[in-house]
Amino acid sequence: MSTSTNKQSLKGMLWTWAALTVIGVIIGLYAPAWIMPKSMSNNMHLTILTMVVFTVAAAPVAAGVYATALFALTRWTHKGNDVPSAGPAVRENAMVVTTWLVVSTLLTVFLLIWGLGALAVDNGSTGKNPLVVDVTGQQWVWSFSYPGTHVSSPDLYLPLNREVEFRVTALDVTHGFWIANMGVQVDANVGTITTIHTTPDKLGTFDIRCTQFCGLNHAFMVTEGHVLTAQQFTSWLASQPQRA
Amino acid sequence: MTTTLEQAKTAAIPQGGGLHRRLNMATAMIGGIVFASLFWYLAHHFLDATSRTYSDEVAGSLTIGWIVGFWLGIGAFVAPLRWLIGRDNTRADDLYLAGQGQGTSRYWKFTTDHKVVGVQYIIMTMVLLGAGGILAMAIRTELIVPGNHFVNQQVYNGFIAVHGMLMILALIVAVAGPWGNFVVPIMCGARDMAFPRLNALSLWTLVGAAGLLLTTLAVGSLTMGWVVLEPIADQAGVGMDFFAMAIIVFTVSTTVAGVNTICTILTMRTKGMTLARLPIFVWGAIIAAALGLYAFPYFSLVEAQTLMDRTFSTSFFVANAGGTGWLQANLFWLMGHPEVYVILLPAVAALFEIAAVMSRKPVFSYRSAVAGMTGLAGLSILVWAHHMFTTGWAPTLGGPFMLTTELISIPTGLFFLVLIGTLWRGNIWMKLPTIWMFGFIANFIIAGVTGIYLSDIPLDDQLHGTMFVTAHFHYVFVGSVLFGAVSALAFWYPKVTGRFLNEFMGRISFWLTFIGVQVTFLAMFASGLRGMPRRYSSYAFIFEHTNLMTTIGAYIIMAGMLVLLGAVITSWNKGEPAGPNPWHANSLEWMVPTPVPLENFEVLPVITEDPYNYGEELVRS
Amino acid sequence: MNRSKSLGVALASVLLGGGALALAGFALASATPHQAALNCVPSQSAPNTCNLNLSTFPDSMAGEQGKDGGVHPDWVSYSNDNLVVPANTTVNVTIDQYDSGGSLNNAFFDQVMGTVGGTATIDGKTVSSVDPTNVGHTFTLRGIPGSGKTMFVSVPLPADSNTQSVNIGQGQYTKPVVVQFSFKTGAKGVYEWNCEFPCGSTREGQFGEAMSAYGYMSGTLTVN
Ligand SMILES: [Cu+2]
Ligand SMILES: [Cu+2]
Ligand SMILES: [Cu+2]
Repeated sequence: MSTSTNKQSLKGMLWTWAALTVIGVIIGLYAPAWIMPKSMSNNMHLTILTMVVFTVAAAPVAAGVYATALFALTRWTHKGNDVPSAGPAVRENAMVVTTWLVVSTLLTVFLLIWGLGALAVDNGSTGKNPLVVDVTGQQWVWSFSYPGTHVSSPDLYLPLNREVEFRVTALDVTHGFWIANMGVQVDANVGTITTIHTTPDKLGTFDIRCTQFCGLNHAFMVTEGHVLTAQQFTSWLASQPQRA
Repeated sequence: MTTTLEQAKTAAIPQGGGLHRRLNMATAMIGGIVFASLFWYLAHHFLDATSRTYSDEVAGSLTIGWIVGFWLGIGAFVAPLRWLIGRDNTRADDLYLAGQGQGTSRYWKFTTDHKVVGVQYIIMTMVLLGAGGILAMAIRTELIVPGNHFVNQQVYNGFIAVHGMLMILALIVAVAGPWGNFVVPIMCGARDMAFPRLNALSLWTLVGAAGLLLTTLAVGSLTMGWVVLEPIADQAGVGMDFFAMAIIVFTVSTTVAGVNTICTILTMRTKGMTLARLPIFVWGAIIAAALGLYAFPYFSLVEAQTLMDRTFSTSFFVANAGGTGWLQANLFWLMGHPEVYVILLPAVAALFEIAAVMSRKPVFSYRSAVAGMTGLAGLSILVWAHHMFTTGWAPTLGGPFMLTTELISIPTGLFFLVLIGTLWRGNIWMKLPTIWMFGFIANFIIAGVTGIYLSDIPLDDQLHGTMFVTAHFHYVFVGSVLFGAVSALAFWYPKVTGRFLNEFMGRISFWLTFIGVQVTFLAMFASGLRGMPRRYSSYAFIFEHTNLMTTIGAYIIMAGMLVLLGAVITSWNKGEPAGPNPWHANSLEWMVPTPVPLENFEVLPVITEDPYNYGEELVRS
Repeated sequence: MNRSKSLGVALASVLLGGGALALAGFALASATPHQAALNCVPSQSAPNTCNLNLSTFPDSMAGEQGKDGGVHPDWVSYSNDNLVVPANTTVNVTIDQYDSGGSLNNAFFDQVMGTVGGTATIDGKTVSSVDPTNVGHTFTLRGIPGSGKTMFVSVPLPADSNTQSVNIGQGQYTKPVVVQFSFKTGAKGVYEWNCEFPCGSTREGQFGEAMSAYGYMSGTLTVN
């Protein structure tokens, strides 16, 4: 292979890489928000944003591998059934290896910094008068009670724009408490209370699905939740039967 | 060389063998069934029938009986017993055990020749993949539409547990089993494995474990995923006891095989075969074996504890009695994450080997390849809790485990560098192994990127326990490992059979499988992103389209695998003859005749350079 | 082998393998036990209501588990698990409860929820909740979320403390507690119901055996 055709092919590879990167970035920017459930909480905005950022960051890397593979397939393959002659005997290239390591380390550091930052935001409770909801998982239903009100319900009702603290536990086996629209998930464990926080910021209905395999009717351990205005929420609470 | 080949074909059955002349797979099955019945009868007779754990005690005893009888029936203990009574094996006995002159019947016996064991692993892998694949088709058939129409949720739950476990077993042995046994000793310049009888023992122990695992479905009442989640496994019926015992027996097999592989590579190399001259696949085999030796005992331990909870009323994992499921989760994932690399590393290492031979270039940055595999193995034992981010166990450890997990992308990146660097400006020979290797590269990128999403805790809080995770690890296992395994199969098939794997059928199979994987698992990503959890026997209407697509894709994969099966079977005797070195490669397995004679080398070779000197001199013929 | 022959082998592999799998699938689907549907048919006089009679037993001798109680004659059971009702109808349910009982693991299920009027009658007495420490089983039916088909009905069935004995099928029981309630069916679809009283064996939450096996303490309600 002469040097000039080699340069040409590398140029073509760069173009392919650029085009694939653009496709990847477009997918990254639009696909997550298009496919994922409607965001109904602060956590979910962050979840979707992280998805977008990671996809966009991965696009050039993946595009690099795909572009090289495509080039290998089109330019570097040997035609015919006979044994190909040997390729260039390059065993080592310290510069390439070092560059590769530095770039992948930088990318990893970026992922890590983003992850730790997002984790801090994601886990952080605002500490502003959260509404406490006790969540109980059992085979194969959820039930919710509101401490201090004597109200329990098979469906979840939440007020808009107020932080909620879910205290989650289970009675028989481990269940997974997940609100897909709010980007929060934690297991319900027997004999232990796990806690998660979120602040709903959209009115509407959502599903709560069990994400930890819990036996026969695991697939049917799904419950509806509703985000109401503060006023609607107060009147809903008042309308419920009081339990001791 | 020709004389050896002639000898191999015409060699008479040696005079020795003793009891082994009468033992084979059929006697093993009979032994297993007889002893299982005996143990069942004894347990049934002597145990307290009013005990709450009675049925589990009986089931546990029965499974122990099965494996003991199976071992006795295959003759696993004949040689040690003979040694004990002072009648150790003679040379003729050992030659008989190695299968000399016994034709195809040696594949159904306790045969010690590493090449026979390798072929037995090929058959074993195909049986396990087939059984797991049938269950996959059943699962996808159930999920064509919402609701339980094909099977009910109880049967479905059993399917997902056994499908998962069978496929994991199949992939653990898919590359390391056939090629770790068939080619690694020859690559090292050895006449056999370090412990030939242990080699046969590991294979037949695996067969015994697989037998137990397959019967769990008939016994039924499995109510857990393949990860044997506790405390829910405590609720399962007696099928769970079979399942747990199958895993314990399986870890015996992997431990024996791992020790054997490591000893072979460390001590049996021929003169001049320094570590730096080892074919890169041998590095993959030894690193994976070492990692397996570390990881699988946890699996054995966790299942032993599960069995004790169920039979002796201990409460390791029973929360209502003071135990905790988190203990089970920790122990399980201490095994579970390294296990992924026990599966992945041999496939990746085989692809390094194949990339070098097929692009007619040395492995690019051999040191990076070894460092990447070692680094990955090392890191993999420090990341297990990323499977527990959402369990509520130790939230403060989230940051550290996120760190170790994301560091994994550095050694994984080296794999891409080595593969791409090796292909770079090569003269790539587009044969079947190469085509499946390109499939691996395309899929492994998707597997890697989606793995990064899952390592990030805020994203994992959304995606954990959903079909997104399922799609991710299917890109790892089906998209990457299976493609690597088929590539390795196509590459070394001519060495086993003397014939090429049918190129045309292999290509049809590739395209069906490749397209099927994209359709199936891209749609599955979408299901997960939309909010569909894993292990659901039915789902909400919003997941209808993506599930239908996944099922269609899964059927396409099935078609691809069936074509591959057809190719493997028909090419065995009717394929295009290949000669001893069809790829004009330089490593030792291609220097011996095909079929490879018993004990491989007439004279052990002396090595003066590594097998990758393409382009530095003319390729040796 | 030449190309056309290879193609033939490839096609044959797919057809043979696929055919074998399809056959196995049909065999499996027909081998899975299906209990006969219990149809709730409205009478001519009252077209918008129908009656459904169920029982809960301490064993499986009188239900639909087959001769001599099937594989597990000692497991608790509902008399039927495959219930079929019309859409937009008031279903009057009568459950004869023959089993003893104990404490619910979640007292939440001592309430009558989702029935007409939020009440049930127990041996003729109208109640909206029962003693959570003396429950035999529950009938808990849930909707299909995400489909607009909301439904949640949960009725506790008190433990049977009668002593007078009765014989049904091959089983011998005590005179039952009779629980009656009504609920309105909504949109068409297959809804799942099960018992929420921990009446199965094994340690974790007493939800093993009959509670974890299909067709004993759970079933479907098909609205069509
Ligand atoms: Cu659950
Ligand atoms: Cu992991
Ligand atoms: Cu019950």
